[in-house]
Amino acid sequence: MSGQGAAPAIELDHVSRWYGNVVAVNDISFSLGAGVTGLLGPNGAGKSTLLHMLAGLLRPSAGRLTVGGEPAWRNPSLYRRIGLVPEREAVHAFLTGFEFARMNARLQRLPDPDAAAARAIRTVDLESAAHRPIGTYSKGMRQRAKIAGALVHEPTILLLDEPFNGMDPRQRLHMIALLRGMAAEGRTILFSSHILEEVERLADEVLVIHAGRLAASGDFRQIRRLMTDRPHTFRIRSSDDRALGAALVAQPAVFGVELTDGRLIARVGDYGAFTAGLATTAKRAAVSLYEVAPTDDSLESVFAYLVRR
Amino acid sequence: MTIFITLVDVTLRGLVGRRRTVLLVLLAVLPIGLALLARLGGETPDAAAALDALVVRIVLPLIALVFGTAALGAEIEDGTAVYLLTKPIARLHIVVAKVVVAALLTAALVAPSALVTGLLMGGGDEGLAATLAVTPAVIIGSLLYAAAFVAISVITTRALVIGLVYVVIWEGILAGILVGTRIFSIREAVLGFAGVLAPDAWESGLEAAQAVALALVVVIGGIALGARRLAVHEVRGGD
Repeated sequence: MSGQGAAPAIELDHVSRWYGNVVAVNDISFSLGAGVTGLLGPNGAGKSTLLHMLAGLLRPSAGRLTVGGEPAWRNPSLYRRIGLVPEREAVHAFLTGFEFARMNARLQRLPDPDAAAARAIRTVDLESAAHRPIGTYSKGMRQRAKIAGALVHEPTILLLDEPFNGMDPRQRLHMIALLRGMAAEGRTILFSSHILEEVERLADEVLVIHAGRLAASGDFRQIRRLMTDRPHTFRIRSSDDRALGAALVAQPAVFGVELTDGRLIARVGDYGAFTAGLATTAKRAAVSLYEVAPTDDSLESVFAYLVRR
Repeated sequence: MTIFITLVDVTLRGLVGRRRTVLLVLLAVLPIGLALLARLGGETPDAAAALDALVVRIVLPLIALVFGTAALGAEIEDGTAVYLLTKPIARLHIVVAKVVVAALLTAALVAPSALVTGLLMGGGDEGLAATLAVTPAVIIGSLLYAAAFVAISVITTRALVIGLVYVVIWEGILAGILVGTRIFSIREAVLGFAGVLAPDAWESGLEAAQAVALALVVVIGGIALGARRLAVHEVRGGD
């Protein structure tokens, strides 16, 4: 996924991480260059474990992992180039937002920590609350303070774990614009999310992770198509389920119907064609539709499907 | 130097101003209150014995235990240590800053407690000598306990319990029964340092040279062990 010719900013080669008998990340390989990449997966998929390994906070159990061409584990000098926004909410509550950003700037040995902190606070739109203790912040403000701390040294690689947690829609839009702008400057941004729409709005590339495995990777539109075109199952209630079932089975988008517990279940290959033509099919069969519901539209089932492919 | 000052500043602000600090101040004041009561009651207790029982055995290790395990251990526990660990700074600097702050805060409470308690106890020249000897000794003791407890807090999340077991069981009981265990007792080292300054008032199971050796081992070993463990400390993700 990295740009041709340029060395990948992030590279994983058959990386696994396990805790005792539990495999959190299972044999994952990919490489990333500049741009925004979304790490998409349900809760517990292994996203945070992956980001923590990239941030040098966890040792890979197997495989090779490099960030900026160097191993991330036990390499503190790498933090000059990395910014991390962890998922955990804990921030030094007794510091103000400005003090927190300045602490990060000082620990990065920046020549003018005050100016860098002020710039970072302005970037995340936290100026109005900059001199209030973080302990008094809302979840969204706290999140922005964390991002200010991660941006203060203008890292070339930014790792964000569920960065939009707690942000209101206006703050999300601001943050999306900010991260897009940073990517346009040539930075590598990898953020995790379990919300498809967030990834859709921000990421050019996407890594789908499920149960520790890389389920899919590449251009978001391709992944989206895979998700949409996967087999779907609909539960239908109508005035005459038997007649509707006979009519539906003749449709090319439908590859199976069954009547179970008085409900009609239709298995569909083409989501778009089926939903567009269902009303017409029902009308032709002189059947009234009472209820049409997808039975497997949870993100979890989408991820499970992508892994099975 | 900016790094060190920043680490000290954030640690100091994280440790003071909380409810536990108030409780520790009350603990430090306790021997003073007891000494006052004794004097008001017309007693003139043995200053060295009272200081040993109250300050050296109880106040010093307990205050050092709370500050020592909280200075870094609490940050590891609540996740804020990540903001220090993801910086291009040597782990040794982090541990040294934590030990220095824990030692300073402990000494800031315990040394005045020892001095005022001793002066109130009286006891003439002998009492005064005992007091003036134990005050610098508890300052050194603050550093030793802080180094030990900060190191333990990097190794285990149960540092408070382990530290308490060390203070109560090892130093409090075993060192009294099995003389050989005193070589690993910080309390004995503190008494050894006090004994150097006032040999008639203070007795220790350790010679002065042994106390110095133990102090060096605890401070250098504790900091080195803490830094080494922090370098390989893993922060688990949420999933």
